[in-house]
Amino acid sequence: MIWNEAKECMSRDEMSNLQSKRLVKMVDRVYHNVEFYRKKMQSMGIEPGDIKGIEDLNKLPFTTKADLRDNYPFGLFAIPDSEVVRVHASSGTTGKATVVGYSRRDIENWQECVARVLSMVGLGKNDKIQVSYGYGLFTGGLGLHYGAENLGATVIPMSSGNTKKQITMMKDFGCTAIACTPSYLLHIIETLEATGEIDNIKLKAAICGAEPWTENMRKEIESRLHVHAHDIYGLSEVMGPGVAADCQYHNGLHVYEDHFLPEILNPETLEPCKPGEVGELAFTTLTKEALPLFRYRTKDLTSITYEKCECGRTLARLSRFKGRSDDMLVIRGVNVFPSQVESALLEMGETSPNYLLIVDRVDYQDTLEVLVEVEERFFSDEIRVLEQLTQKIANVLHQALGLAVKVKLVEPNTIERSEGKAKRVIDKRKLV
Amino acid sequence: MLQQLSVFVENKIGSLNKVTHAIYENGINLRAISAFDSPDFCILRIVVEQPEEAKKILTKKGFAVKVSEVLAIELEDQPGELDRVLGILADSGLSINYIYSLVLRGEKAPLMVLSLNDNEKAIQVLRSNNICIVD
Repeated sequence: MIWNEAKECMSRDEMSNLQSKRLVKMVDRVYHNVEFYRKKMQSMGIEPGDIKGIEDLNKLPFTTKADLRDNYPFGLFAIPDSEVVRVHASSGTTGKATVVGYSRRDIENWQECVARVLSMVGLGKNDKIQVSYGYGLFTGGLGLHYGAENLGATVIPMSSGNTKKQITMMKDFGCTAIACTPSYLLHIIETLEATGEIDNIKLKAAICGAEPWTENMRKEIESRLHVHAHDIYGLSEVMGPGVAADCQYHNGLHVYEDHFLPEILNPETLEPCKPGEVGELAFTTLTKEALPLFRYRTKDLTSITYEKCECGRTLARLSRFKGRSDDMLVIRGVNVFPSQVESALLEMGETSPNYLLIVDRVDYQDTLEVLVEVEERFFSDEIRVLEQLTQKIANVLHQALGLAVKVKLVEPNTIERSEGKAKRVIDKRKLV
Repeated sequence: MLQQLSVFVENKIGSLNKVTHAIYENGINLRAISAFDSPDFCILRIVVEQPEEAKKILTKKGFAVKVSEVLAIELEDQPGELDRVLGILADSGLSINYIYSLVLRGEKAPLMVLSLNDNEKAIQVLRSNNICIVD
């Protein structure tokens, strides 16, 4: 179902007009209320009047996570503290947290966006949605929570962790949908399979996000849990979950462009990429009151298409994320994305998709060791067969990554499943 | 035929003990044990008195476990006896994947555990040579 047909299905021209109108107003407001941006615009010789529509977007300055950190905690807020109704924070990469704020209107818009996602997933007021994202400063839990309430569904605010209790509630309450990270959902699935309870649950949909995952992982979740799994994207700086999500055709994530204006940029030149070309995603917020941002560099790599989707939505679609420009490993000069390993393992289909990359430097040479869990259904009683499997995985990964890999089989369930984001890489080189 | 459990364990201190402890904790008696290792991991093969129960326990503990059928044969305690039996199997074209001995008690005859490429044929061959197969 389409929650807001007027906004989700408007023509491209109407959308551009709406975006232009909102951008002009937003630039004016930001210029007069946020010293950081005013100074930046002045140093670039731009005045609010220079921005006449979205065609002038590239005149505006970029914003990075470092800018948020430098103005910690509330320096970039565009409204008085008395108008801020909530703050969230994400862990900073270095030191201080990244703090974000919301006005009442911002919260309403967020609820609207999440309701659009849930409606797109096929959920409605008769559904019971288990929110197993962390509640608190992290935007996942509360973001999904209020969106689901706005939809009219019943919310079970589980937060993350305590898998046994998650399963009990899921079973006893007859939950029909779950929202959590894909790696945590796989952990729940493993537990359900181990206890033989997988047939006692009524889930029909899973809304997963907050970490990159692959199309193969989505299919694996769907077939093992018998649900429709959808990718929900968001980042606290821009809002939280619900900036974009994929519909039943899984042909890219629809961006709620009436609120967030996306750009795909070449990460080195910062020049715009053509539709279909992979680059770094940047967002300019169009309606945010508390923390409006110009061209916020997400470091997420994706491509964009403006073609109308089979589902009827005209919103631009982002391709499945290719990883983060700052998550990329360079090993012996080769660019490696952890998601490539996962994808190759799932494609090969003879092992569990639980893996850990250990990057090290021995005698000035990078080494990549991949720990892979032995899964009972692929476990052989013969050393020979296990050694063949090890060699096969090494070959498959060598091909996928273009890099020689040492593969080590480890016992099931020994690679840490974080109940939040999965830890897929240990880079020991950084410690040197 | 006997049910043998094969358990995947990593080469690290205490890993075999985790398996034996799980079995002991549940009051299951271990009849035979052998471990074959590679640089990174080891396959622990065990024969226990309640194989199905033991499999459940180990799987629940998170181990990868495979159940397979092996033959246990009783030998006379005299020189040349194992040589004779292995000769019979070889002459019949049977291939041995691996062999290990059961834990012995008292004055009982030695028992050998054999994994073969063709159990049905092996049973026929061994029986026709009057070699005792233990259930």
